[in-house]
Amino acid sequence: MLYVKELYKSYEAGKNRYEVLKGIDFHVAQGEFVAVMGPSGSGKTTLLNCISCYIPFDKGNIKLGGMELAGMNEDTLAGIRNTKLGFVFQDFMLLDGLTIRENILVPRIVQGKVEKEAEKLVGQLAAMFGIEHILDKYPAEISGGEKQRAAVARSLINNPLIILADEPTGNLDSKSSRAVIETFNNAKEQMKATIFMVTHDSFAASFCDRVILLKDGTIYRQLEKKDSRSRFQEQLLDAIKEMR
Amino acid sequence: MSRVMDMKQMEQKLQKADRKQSRLYLFCNFMALMIISAYSALMLSPTVQKVFPAGGDSRKQMYMIFVMTLVGCVVFTIYALGLFFRHKSGQLGILMALGASRRRLAPGLFREVIVLSGVSAVAGTIAGFPFVWIIWHAFRLLLVDSSDMVLTFDFKCLFISLLFLLLVVGFACLTAWRYLKKTNIMEVIREEHINEPVKEPGRWCGPVGVLVLLTGAVLGYGAPVACYRWLQMYPPEWVGVFYAPVFVGLYMVMLHTVVHGWKSHRKNPYKNIISRSMMKFQGKQTVNNMLVITLLIAGGCFAIFYLPANGISALYRYASQPYDYFYKYQADQNVPDREAVETLGREYGLLFKEWKECDYATLGIGGNHIIEEDSQHYHIEYVPMAEEAKVLSEDAYRILTGQDVDVKPGTYLNVTNQDETSLSVNESAKEFTNMVTRRQMHTKFAGYLHYDLLAEADTTCCVLDNEDYAEISEGLTEDWRGCFVGFNVDGEDSYPFANAFYHLFVSAFDETCERPGYYDRVQKIRENEAGKTYWGDTDDMATISYELADSFMFRSFWVYQPDFRILNQNDYLRNMAVMFMMFLFIFMVCMITALVVCYTRCQSIALNNRYIFDDLKKLGASPAFLDREVRSQCGNVFRVPALVGMLSMFLLFSMILYANDGRMVMTEWLAMGICLCIIAMIGGLIYMVYRSCVKVIKRLLGV
Repeated sequence: MLYVKELYKSYEAGKNRYEVLKGIDFHVAQGEFVAVMGPSGSGKTTLLNCISCYIPFDKGNIKLGGMELAGMNEDTLAGIRNTKLGFVFQDFMLLDGLTIRENILVPRIVQGKVEKEAEKLVGQLAAMFGIEHILDKYPAEISGGEKQRAAVARSLINNPLIILADEPTGNLDSKSSRAVIETFNNAKEQMKATIFMVTHDSFAASFCDRVILLKDGTIYRQLEKKDSRSRFQEQLLDAIKEMR
Repeated sequence: MSRVMDMKQMEQKLQKADRKQSRLYLFCNFMALMIISAYSALMLSPTVQKVFPAGGDSRKQMYMIFVMTLVGCVVFTIYALGLFFRHKSGQLGILMALGASRRRLAPGLFREVIVLSGVSAVAGTIAGFPFVWIIWHAFRLLLVDSSDMVLTFDFKCLFISLLFLLLVVGFACLTAWRYLKKTNIMEVIREEHINEPVKEPGRWCGPVGVLVLLTGAVLGYGAPVACYRWLQMYPPEWVGVFYAPVFVGLYMVMLHTVVHGWKSHRKNPYKNIISRSMMKFQGKQTVNNMLVITLLIAGGCFAIFYLPANGISALYRYASQPYDYFYKYQADQNVPDREAVETLGREYGLLFKEWKECDYATLGIGGNHIIEEDSQHYHIEYVPMAEEAKVLSEDAYRILTGQDVDVKPGTYLNVTNQDETSLSVNESAKEFTNMVTRRQMHTKFAGYLHYDLLAEADTTCCVLDNEDYAEISEGLTEDWRGCFVGFNVDGEDSYPFANAFYHLFVSAFDETCERPGYYDRVQKIRENEAGKTYWGDTDDMATISYELADSFMFRSFWVYQPDFRILNQNDYLRNMAVMFMMFLFIFMVCMITALVVCYTRCQSIALNNRYIFDDLKKLGASPAFLDREVRSQCGNVFRVPALVGMLSMFLLFSMILYANDGRMVMTEWLAMGICLCIIAMIGGLIYMVYRSCVKVIKRLLGV
């Protein structure tokens, strides 16, 4: 589904150049729920932004569903972001002037394909994630957890190849975090969604099939869930301790 | 309940939700265009153009302040556009992140910015005309009215507004395009939250800035003088670049204010730390805005100082003149004689006393004359028939002024005013010329006499020994002879009499005297004899007309304009009405623009940092603490530009008054005192706006 090969990215600040990603290699299979963890500054969000094509990368290859993203023009990339990728951000990124229903429909509106079928799909997603009652409300009128579940619904409206989530539980309390993670699980189970999530939260990461640990712009270690969620969380915590 | 929505409808809904931001942008654009449109409409109106002398200082000042206002409005609209797009970028970024391509977003975005900037700009341009009309007619109704004040527009002024309108719309489209072209979507999304800190200079920045500012003021003012005095050339247009250090200095002062503040924080380094850091992290925009506010306040002060600087000396001169009625006429004119004047006076119940009259001769006088080599350079050369001079005998001078005078034969005394600031002085004459017989008499400068009424603006006045006078004036025809008359009213004077006498007096002159005082008959003869055309006979010289005897031009420049105290005192404001009202208008425009910029800047600093105030509340900050932080932040935006703008203009004005003649005379001190009072009033006005701004911001922040 997603192949990342020899990915490099650096930033320039004044005369200084900072290497953030130093040759990242990994892949995500279809239907897999993968998390990326690592200390601050390890390059997690930069990696996600490169995959999302939000920021250009220096060199390397990113293949999504067999398509090479490097060298694509802006229009094609926009099309891929719209139809092949779904996004969930830490601060939700809902449009304040639209209702939750309209927010979920935005990728379809951008596409120019808002039909009855899309509206029906909104209803189904809302039911799946328990947000039917807020569909006609505005973002300012609902809780953080509800906003994030709406954002997950939005990410799924175009049935993308992969959902990219950047710290989706970072701004939420534990109850809301759990609800959001369950939303991802539902998406994975019921819609066979592929999810790639950046997180600091070992609890959230413990729901994933696999966790990639990043350190200083390189992959430090990859861990796979073999038995229970709680055991996996312990393994994660040990690995993080070891990484420090 | 179908809610099927397309891209256009979604954009419209988002625009509706963003109407607060749009309103701010609309308001800023509207205000900028209205101000530019109103200023240019008045500035280029025939009403103002015919009163402000072409090439004169007042016209240059009017244009200079216009340029400052224009710069202020440009910065202001760019700032408003920046604010609009900072907010808009979050929305654009989300849509881009969700796969909206540049091509998909462009039509809606361009439609929105073109409609917002276009509609506000067109509305502002149109509103400028009723705005200026209402203010001008309010002036006419409440302050002063005259025939000069009839307001007409030259719609060529729309060209300036149109250019500005295109700039506004063009810049809005360019900014939209810049956002759409960004490839880093995360940058677009986070634009709203990106701070713009300025590079932090040392604490030397402020004091050095003050020095640079003062140096610029001296250099800027001194450069044209240096051109005249040492390089013997007319100062070229680019000489204005010497004022550049003023702007650099101002920038440094504002930078220091934003980064360090002017109070020492050694004792209590944490005092106002929140507001200082808020300002510092949006430093670039804050410094730019404060610079513009300073310039606008300085421009406004410069305009309003014009009124006392010009008014006081004239009114003082009228009050202190020794005759209630003083006039001169050419001997061949049929001017009412003493009996006719007394008869007219009796009709108004007036009796006159101390009636004095004496003859004078108009002669050619030698002197150092400016010879233009080209449009830029000149040299000074002695010319025997340099200009006209009104010449009196010792006896005539004694009769008229009551001063005892003794002029040695072969010399002359030059009459100047009490302050010795008269421009009509001639110390270099070597001969007088009888322009009829062409007889010349050698002479030598022997000193000054002081008598304000004879120290005219355009013609030198000299006193000769009685015998020399009789000798040189022999053979002069009536058109080269004249008479000075002065008398006082026995009792209280009457304005209706003065007005009636003035019009009777003007109507007594024929067309040979329908000329301004700066039309020099001696220069004309000299030029014509050299085969050249005298410039006064070309269209370059502004003309005057008996038909407009009450106009500013006529009363200011007619060669035989009389000095009737009560008429001058009563009509002074009316005669100068257009000039004064134009400067009053400029003051209003500059102050309105400055205060609007202050107000929006304070609002945007507070709103951009709303989350800091929310956090402070959560951390237990008391309402008093929050109140102090709001005040401190707004205070800096209002206080420093107001102080720097007002005081620097006061110093510049003092310097100009001093540098005119190397000293300050009583009327100039008085004018400066009035300017200080004006500063206090402007300070009061700014304080009131500051108070209301603080109140609004506190309400917005829920403090």
